[in-house]
Amino acid sequence: MASNKNATNVSVRINNESNLLHAPDETLVIQVARGNPAALEVLYDRYASIVLGISVKVLGDQELAEDILQETFWRVWQSAGTYQSQLGSFTGWLFRIARNLAVDAYRRRNVRPQAISGVEGSEPILDEMPDPSTDVAEQAQSILKNRQIRKALASLPGVQRQVIEMAYFYGMTRQEIAEVTGEALGTIHTRARLALQKLRGEFERDEFEG
Amino acid sequence: MNLKDSMDPRIEELLPFYALDALTDEERELVDSYLAEHPEAREQMKELHSAASGLPYGISPVEPPRQVKESLMARVNADAGVRVPSSVQVPRQAARRAVWFENLFQVFSLGAAAVAIIWAVILNTQVSRLQTEISGLHATLAKQADTLEQILVNLPKSPSNVITVSISGTNVQPSAHGQLIADPKEESAVLIISGLPKLEVNQTYQVWLGSGGTMVSAGLLSIDANGQGVVVVTSNESIGSFNKLGISVEPQGGSPQPTGDIVVFSDI
Repeated sequence: MASNKNATNVSVRINNESNLLHAPDETLVIQVARGNPAALEVLYDRYASIVLGISVKVLGDQELAEDILQETFWRVWQSAGTYQSQLGSFTGWLFRIARNLAVDAYRRRNVRPQAISGVEGSEPILDEMPDPSTDVAEQAQSILKNRQIRKALASLPGVQRQVIEMAYFYGMTRQEIAEVTGEALGTIHTRARLALQKLRGEFERDEFEG
Repeated sequence: MNLKDSMDPRIEELLPFYALDALTDEERELVDSYLAEHPEAREQMKELHSAASGLPYGISPVEPPRQVKESLMARVNADAGVRVPSSVQVPRQAARRAVWFENLFQVFSLGAAAVAIIWAVILNTQVSRLQTEISGLHATLAKQADTLEQILVNLPKSPSNVITVSISGTNVQPSAHGQLIADPKEESAVLIISGLPKLEVNQTYQVWLGSGGTMVSAGLLSIDANGQGVVVVTSNESIGSFNKLGISVEPQGGSPQPTGDIVVFSDI
C-alpha cells in the first residue's frame, strides 16, 4: 500500500515536472523562488541563448559573456522571490539583469563597443540573421519573432535606431549619446521617442507580443 | 503654475530613456515619482516599455556551451541542498529515563536524520534530473509536431502565396528530409530539415539555391543533437527564380561554391 502511494506520488511529480516545460514563465519563477532547480533549468533552456546574445553584443567577448550568462541565472535563482509580475514580464526582468550585468562589466573594462549601428562603416548591433538554437521549435519561434523585430527595426531611420541601440545595449545616457553623435540633447530625446513609438506601432501592426 | 506642472516637459522627455533603462538613479527616481502621480504618463510608459522590451529579440541568440549550464546547475543544486529545511526534531525523552539512554537516542536520531537528509537530497537530485530528461523528451516531441503548424500560422500574411516543398536527401545522406516553406515572390524562406548527421567541429552545412546550373549560397545551417535544423534561406533574388535547393558539407565558415558532399539536392 505504502509502495503504491509512493509510486503515485512519483508519478504525480513526474507529471508536474513535465508540466513545467509548458508552464508560463511567471509560474516557473514562483517554483524557482520555492527552490526548485528544475524550474530554473526550464527557464535557462528557454532564454539562455538570448541572454548570451545580449551579453556577447554588449561585451564582444564570448568568454566574459558566458560568465555574465551564468551570473544572470544565478541571480534569478537567488532573487526570484523579489520578482513582481505586476511590474512587468519575466523576460523584461531577466533581460534587464543580463543587460545591466553586461553593461557593468563593459564599463569596468572601460572598453567602448567597436561598432555602433548607424555609425559609418559599422555593423548594426541588431543582427540581420538569426542564429539557430539547439531546439527546433524554439528556432522556428525565434526566427519568426526575430523577423518581426528586424522588420520593425528596419523601418526605423538609422539615426533613430542608433539612439535606442546606444541606450539599450550600452546603457549610454542621453548626454553621452548626444556627445558621441554630436547632436543636441533635444534631438536625441526626439529620436528616442519617435523610434519607440514607431516600433510600438509596427509591433501592433504585426501583432507582436514582446 | 505649480512646480509639478513646470516639471512635466522635462520629465516626459525622460520617459523613452526610462523604458530603455538608460537613466541615472536620480533621473529614475524623478520619473518614478512622476509616474506615481500621472496615470496618463503610466499609460504612455507602458507603450514605450512594450516597444523597448522587444529589442533583445532583435539580436542573434548565441547558443551557450553545455558546460555553462552544467556549472550553473551544479551551483544551483548545491545551494538547493543547503536550502532543504531542517525539520529534524529530537524527540523529548521522559524525564525519568536514564540520561545515557536519552543521549544515545539523540545521537542515533541526529545521525539517522542526517543520513536521511543526505539520501533525500541525492535522490531528489537524481529524480529531478531524470524527470527533466523525460519531460524534455516529451516536450521535444510535442514541439516538433507543432513546428510546421506554428510556422504556417504565424509566418504568412497571404497564405495563398505560400508553398511548401518537400526536400529529400541524396544517396550520400538518404535519411535527410525536410520542407521549404516559401512565398516565391519573397527573397527568403524557412527551411526545416531532419536526418542530418553531426559534423566535425571544422565543418558546416551550407544551403544552396540553384538555377540554370548555377548554385548560389543561401546561408549556413546548424543542426541540433537530433540532426534537425531550421534556417532562414536568403537570396538577393526571389525564391521563385530558383528551381533547385541543395545542402553540402563545407569547411567552417562556408565556401563560395559547393566543395564537399552534397547531402540534399531537390527540385523546388
